[in-house]
Amino acid sequence: MTISDPLRSLWTWLLALLPTRRPPVSPREAFERFQKVLVSNNNALEIIADLGEKLGGDYLFDIHYIERSTEQLIEAVHLSIAAVNELCNNRHLGLYKVHENLSEDLRLTLAGREDREGPQVLSFDEIRPRNWALVGGKGAHLAEMRHDPLLHVPEGFVITAKAYHDLINHNNLRDQLTEFEALMADRDADAARLEAVRLSLEQGVLAAAAPPNLTEALHKAMHALPKTEPLFLAVRSSAQEEDMDFSWAGQFLSVLNVPGQTEAVFAAVRKVMASLFSSGVVSYWRRFLPDENRMAIAVVCQRMIDSRTSGIVFSVDTMQLSHDVMVVVAAWGQGEAVVEGSTATDTFQLRKGPPVSIAAKYVAEKRQGLFRAKESGLTAQPIAEELRLQPCLSDEELLLLGKQALHLESHFKRAQDVEWAIDKAGQLFILQTRSLILTDTPAREKALPSRLKKHELISEGQGRIARQGIGAGPVHIVSNLTEEDGSFPEGSVLVVRRDSSRLVKFLHRAAAVITEIGTPVSHMSTICREFRVPCLVNVAGIISKVSEGELITVDAEDNRIYRGQIEDLLVYRAASSINIMASREFRLLRRILKKVSQLNLVDPMMQNFNIAGCRTYHDLLRFSHESAVQEMVHLGSDERQLVQGNIVRRMDLPIPTGILVIDIGGGLAPDAPPTGDIPPEAIASAPFRAILRGMLYPGVWHRDPMPVGFRDLMNSMLNANHDMAAKQYTGHNIAIIGEDYVNLCFRLGYHYNILDAHCGEAEQNNHLYYRFLGGATDMAKRSRRTAMISLILKEFEFNVQTKGDLVTARLSHIPQSEAERTLDILGRLVGFTRQLDVRMESDEIVQQYAEAFLQGHYDAVI
Amino acid sequence: MNRTTARLLIIDDEPIIGKRLQQVFGKSGIETVICTDPVRAMEAMAEERFRIVITDYRMEEMNGLEVLRRVRTLNPKAKVIMITGYPSQELEEEAVQGGVFEFITKPFRMDQLKDAVSRAMEELSEEQEPSM
Repeated sequence: MTISDPLRSLWTWLLALLPTRRPPVSPREAFERFQKVLVSNNNALEIIADLGEKLGGDYLFDIHYIERSTEQLIEAVHLSIAAVNELCNNRHLGLYKVHENLSEDLRLTLAGREDREGPQVLSFDEIRPRNWALVGGKGAHLAEMRHDPLLHVPEGFVITAKAYHDLINHNNLRDQLTEFEALMADRDADAARLEAVRLSLEQGVLAAAAPPNLTEALHKAMHALPKTEPLFLAVRSSAQEEDMDFSWAGQFLSVLNVPGQTEAVFAAVRKVMASLFSSGVVSYWRRFLPDENRMAIAVVCQRMIDSRTSGIVFSVDTMQLSHDVMVVVAAWGQGEAVVEGSTATDTFQLRKGPPVSIAAKYVAEKRQGLFRAKESGLTAQPIAEELRLQPCLSDEELLLLGKQALHLESHFKRAQDVEWAIDKAGQLFILQTRSLILTDTPAREKALPSRLKKHELISEGQGRIARQGIGAGPVHIVSNLTEEDGSFPEGSVLVVRRDSSRLVKFLHRAAAVITEIGTPVSHMSTICREFRVPCLVNVAGIISKVSEGELITVDAEDNRIYRGQIEDLLVYRAASSINIMASREFRLLRRILKKVSQLNLVDPMMQNFNIAGCRTYHDLLRFSHESAVQEMVHLGSDERQLVQGNIVRRMDLPIPTGILVIDIGGGLAPDAPPTGDIPPEAIASAPFRAILRGMLYPGVWHRDPMPVGFRDLMNSMLNANHDMAAKQYTGHNIAIIGEDYVNLCFRLGYHYNILDAHCGEAEQNNHLYYRFLGGATDMAKRSRRTAMISLILKEFEFNVQTKGDLVTARLSHIPQSEAERTLDILGRLVGFTRQLDVRMESDEIVQQYAEAFLQGHYDAVI
Repeated sequence: MNRTTARLLIIDDEPIIGKRLQQVFGKSGIETVICTDPVRAMEAMAEERFRIVITDYRMEEMNGLEVLRRVRTLNPKAKVIMITGYPSQELEEEAVQGGVFEFITKPFRMDQLKDAVSRAMEELSEEQEPSM
């Protein structure tokens, strides 16, 4: 059952009136509440994962499924927020308001009305993927490219779909638009009536007055652009479906070289908006998107480039359907002459390589070109005699253009049709890019299954498809997740043992991804879908079947991996004129997921890790989870919260740790002695048992005192006083344990460890949190120990933060067996590092000790 | 099983679904005929007597149960696979009573549908063998 929003608001308001501090709860109660947070979080995350998996392309689903799942998700996230507030004494009531806003936005999206809310104008730099409906396909692509440091995209802004709706309403065109939409939805609509309504709307928009506030917003946006006097703009369409799945090439109007004055720009904007109702667009629309009866238009306004040379590049040779060759077509002046085919052009062929090289040049006699007119618009001008037979691109420029086209193809995972311009100073600008849709011959298509049989298969039907698609390239096996981003060769097939969200830094550069262990619902899989990277997970033994640098082709449609680059499959990919991602269901699901699954609160150490930073449901869930873990982490360190009534018992260990145990349920074995000290074998808590196993591992716990120097001694005394003043972690070392849970807060010598772990059968519930602070020596030595611990933890795929002598490490969503192994390692690390700061005499020693630990030479410390 | 005899008739009023399935089966070498209009699909059925039919349940002109009934009348041996995003116990029971070969609820993985088609092909070829 769902709770209505007004009731929810009232409930939130009532909650806010309640005192925020309540009597402390027992560890057992806190743990129960913590588990509630985990369960509700997981329910919500499972719905998100389920939705995300559908976007991989391996499923068929319908709108009804999206609506049902979205409503379930709205409810699940609400439950999660309620659970975390229950655990944390209502300290996070602000989450309710964020949830309410996001839910409203989702419902608007479901109803297809999300483009009616928001600003009328957005600068490129303000645009985020969630603004897609507001800024249209082209605007979204341009903004995405603006964020890419390898590309130069002229500055600009978008007059949004909200402004378009405002213009429709302000000029009393809404009724006509509604009729138009009804006619577009009807496949057998009266053609004459449709034509009359279309024409009336086209004329209505052409003559429209500016809706309130638009002129001011437009004026402001133009003033915010870098000052290039005089300012001229290129005003182009960005309809919602444009450049996404269908090219709409040349269908909408563009007005070029518009003087940067509000009135002139608005006149151009009206012309572009009216082109949504041009006869050409309407017939294209009915042909290619018969299921889409509603589409709004945004308008991109970009600084006009005073081009010396412009043109297009196809990242695939469309004539020969060759994937090894790119084609560049160029002319002096503005690119309109090239795309309209109105003037002679130079054509170049480039081999993709790597490295990119020039294959052929066909230089034409270029008698005239299009250039910017002085006042506005473009004008044809004769080309100077000496330039007519000269190639209009230098070799250097051609190669750069080739590299950028390859980069765009790799980024968007499909062959690209890129428009570009080079200004008079020689700077290359990317003006737009869209998928290149090719057609294969039916005979070739039919022969595909038999042709594919001739190629060697490395794997078939193994693993799961996380993101459909076809990708080919040289294998790059990533064995070290700390590898630098720049070292991953663009266009390679990433092969890795286990999926990890830390691969995110490489994913966008990969042609495809294969993992030996993984799931289609992991963060990495989600990111593959966002980056459009074909991905197979759980392909057992793949690392041993391929070698570094070897060319392979991944068919993540039929779940096959081939040896070599299979040209047939690449042609098939480029020629698949139907793109499942173009269906109405996929587009809606993608819109919903953009609003739901993006994670902005990546790092708890960052400043934006707060309620105000929550922009999606995923952020809300991440914040709730982290807040819940923190609440539990502090539970053990704050003895005031450990209320009486808990049976506190001492651990009987062969090493001097002084650990007291509080069992919150299932932490002790049923046959544990009822009173007295607890032997290690009486511990039933899986995570605590694993830690103890590590701490007691032979050779880990050194009994010999370290040679502490005079300065170290002084430091330890100073630190001890400081700690006393802070009144933290004094007293006992306490382990709060449950069957699947441990919270261990303890002081060993002069440093503190906090270890909080949930480790059960449900992988998605598991987390490991480790915090290490302090030491007896000076800050330099302590920092070196911090660096060493950080090196070791990173090897075990922890997300590690360090600051001075503080190390914070997190790892979550890992299988139980792996969590136990890692906790065993942490147990060993606790023993190994106990007094190690004393030995940290130089920076070189950091690496030596880290290696000794990783190789199991724990005696290196002695 | 002789693949040339295994042309599939796919009926779904969402054009993208038919095209999508055509692509999926085409890549495996299985020919398909797509109809977005169930009435026209029945005309095609009367002409060609398809032996495997995939139909959506919820369509404006004619629902999947009616398609099932008509297909089975035209070719009692035809294997009909019905897909729906609005599953219910009653609907499934009615479909089973009507002789549906497989009832698949959305969302489903492509492999599920491909498996169903393979099984339908196997059964058809087994049914054919005694008379051969």
